[in-house]
Amino acid sequence: MAIAEPIERAPLVELPRRMRRPRLSRSRRFSWLAASLLLITTVVAVLAPVLAPHDPTTTSIYPFASPGQHGFLLGSDSTGRDLLSRTLYGMRTSWFAALVVIVVGVLIGTLIGLVSGAFGGWIDSVLMRITDGFLALPAPVLAIAVVAALGVGLVHTLIAVSIVWWPFYARIVRGEVRKLAARPHVEAAKLAGAGRLRVMLRHLLPGAIPATVVTASLDVGNLVLTLAALSFLGLGQAQPAPELGLDSALNITFLSQDVWVSAIPGLGVVLLALVGNIAGDGIRNLIDPE
Amino acid sequence: MVALIAKRIGAMLVILFLLVVVLFFLKQISPGDPVHLMLGGQASATAIAHERHVLGLDRPVTSQFAHYLDRLIFHADPGMSYVTRRSVRTDLATFMPATLELAAAGLIIALVLGTILAFATTLKVRGSSAFRVILIVGASTPAFLLGVAGVVLFYEHLGWLPSSGRTSYLNAPTGPTHLLTVDSLLHGRLNLFWDAIKHLVLPAVSIALGPAVAIGRVLRSSLIEDLGSDYARTARAKGLTELRILRKHILRNAIGAAMSMTGLQVGLMFAGVLVVEQVFSWPGIGLYVSQAIQHEDFPAIAGVTLVLGAVYVVINTIVDVLQAVADPRIKV
Repeated sequence: MAIAEPIERAPLVELPRRMRRPRLSRSRRFSWLAASLLLITTVVAVLAPVLAPHDPTTTSIYPFASPGQHGFLLGSDSTGRDLLSRTLYGMRTSWFAALVVIVVGVLIGTLIGLVSGAFGGWIDSVLMRITDGFLALPAPVLAIAVVAALGVGLVHTLIAVSIVWWPFYARIVRGEVRKLAARPHVEAAKLAGAGRLRVMLRHLLPGAIPATVVTASLDVGNLVLTLAALSFLGLGQAQPAPELGLDSALNITFLSQDVWVSAIPGLGVVLLALVGNIAGDGIRNLIDPE
Repeated sequence: MVALIAKRIGAMLVILFLLVVVLFFLKQISPGDPVHLMLGGQASATAIAHERHVLGLDRPVTSQFAHYLDRLIFHADPGMSYVTRRSVRTDLATFMPATLELAAAGLIIALVLGTILAFATTLKVRGSSAFRVILIVGASTPAFLLGVAGVVLFYEHLGWLPSSGRTSYLNAPTGPTHLLTVDSLLHGRLNLFWDAIKHLVLPAVSIALGPAVAIGRVLRSSLIEDLGSDYARTARAKGLTELRILRKHILRNAIGAAMSMTGLQVGLMFAGVLVVEQVFSWPGIGLYVSQAIQHEDFPAIAGVTLVLGAVYVVINTIVDVLQAVADPRIKV
């Protein structure tokens, strides 16, 4: 049965360039807006010291001030410290902490995944067995054990979470690289005499970037929540440094007196996690529209 | 099937061994000197040497590891807590059942909520988009804040649910399983069972919301993908309702990814459990862990990691086997 070939018609009139280019669709514009939240939040985090109306650790003689009272926009905590300033500084710490872990996780994961996927053979087997071993263990619990061994402190927590966070990225990068390695362009590059390093960096790595970026951006929210939970357990900065999770934990004692002293740092976490989740969805829609 | 289960169990044992190796390594690199922590700063050199010998710290590393493994396998003993000076095993036996009961309740709620979310949004039930927004905000909320909100709303304002502990009964049974909901039924005490359930609801929902959304999202995308398939169209042509097509034809095909996600979420849920326990004064492992962290009590942390890690590995092994049951095409 013959199937009619679709006929390619040349446009009768060449349209002016301005009219040919489609405007950004509404959902695409929305996605850009969502993705730009990442940048906005980072700017706010950088500017936190300028934006905060008070010093986050200075106590005052007005404990449990209600919002607006004595010049505290969101009220004050049990030792009269400004809740807004503490939460802003805490959000700054949490946000940068999450970004640091993502960057470290992506870098280590990409390196391992790329080597594993590009070399194959026994190197691949060994690296992936190690990766699977890590993936088969519960990440937050393992992170707690690593911090307990290194000693409590924010830097150690970041190291610990990075150690348990990279295997996920190694798997993704390796999967993408394996798929790409079977493509003709890689074979062509090899035949053209490209060295192993050049094939890896020029022909395999770029193809793995979109999937990694999408996963990483969707991961920011998760990471903010995990770090907040660890901070709640006392694995972050020590008091009196502003720390969203720990502030919330310590203020739970005053729950019957004043709900907000515990809830406002928690709401700071919600804001960051929502930004992460919304921006992650936006970036996924931009890079990989279904 | 038998081969598959055997293979999975083999892999599980390898992972558990890896976990023990990691924990032993961490113990070696940890800067806290156990002898110093136990005896204090003024201990004499002979006392330190004696304690080092008692703890086996003067032996070579390989021999220490063999000893550690031997204690672990044949005595289920991960060592002695530096702080309580009791075997970590005793401490775990005291605190772990409450934690596991809470985690199990959270997992069940997460599965139910996740499935409802996936079905409602796939079938576009009226009001499901609002439901979805609520759950997504819920998933961006840390478990401790959900707990606080729950206490304020359901305890302080409405007075429907209790805010702390496992039960208000002082004469609750202490055996045989140490899981209060199970024990109360075994003893035939329905009022105690109901009381235990009421105490479980708030903390369990607090830890379940995040995982429920993650599971629901994955299940929804597999359901939607399969609804467009040829066999779904055939079923629709036979006149079946969408709900029936989903339940009888698609669910079994689409459930694999959601089950993997469930297995993964259990790990994140453990962090939630440790945190939420402190909001609700739940007599589980949470408080033990945060005290151990403050005192750099590594054997205690190692013990908790070992038990939670083992539970996680076992659950994921079961998930793997269940996936093969749901979809017999899965090999290895």
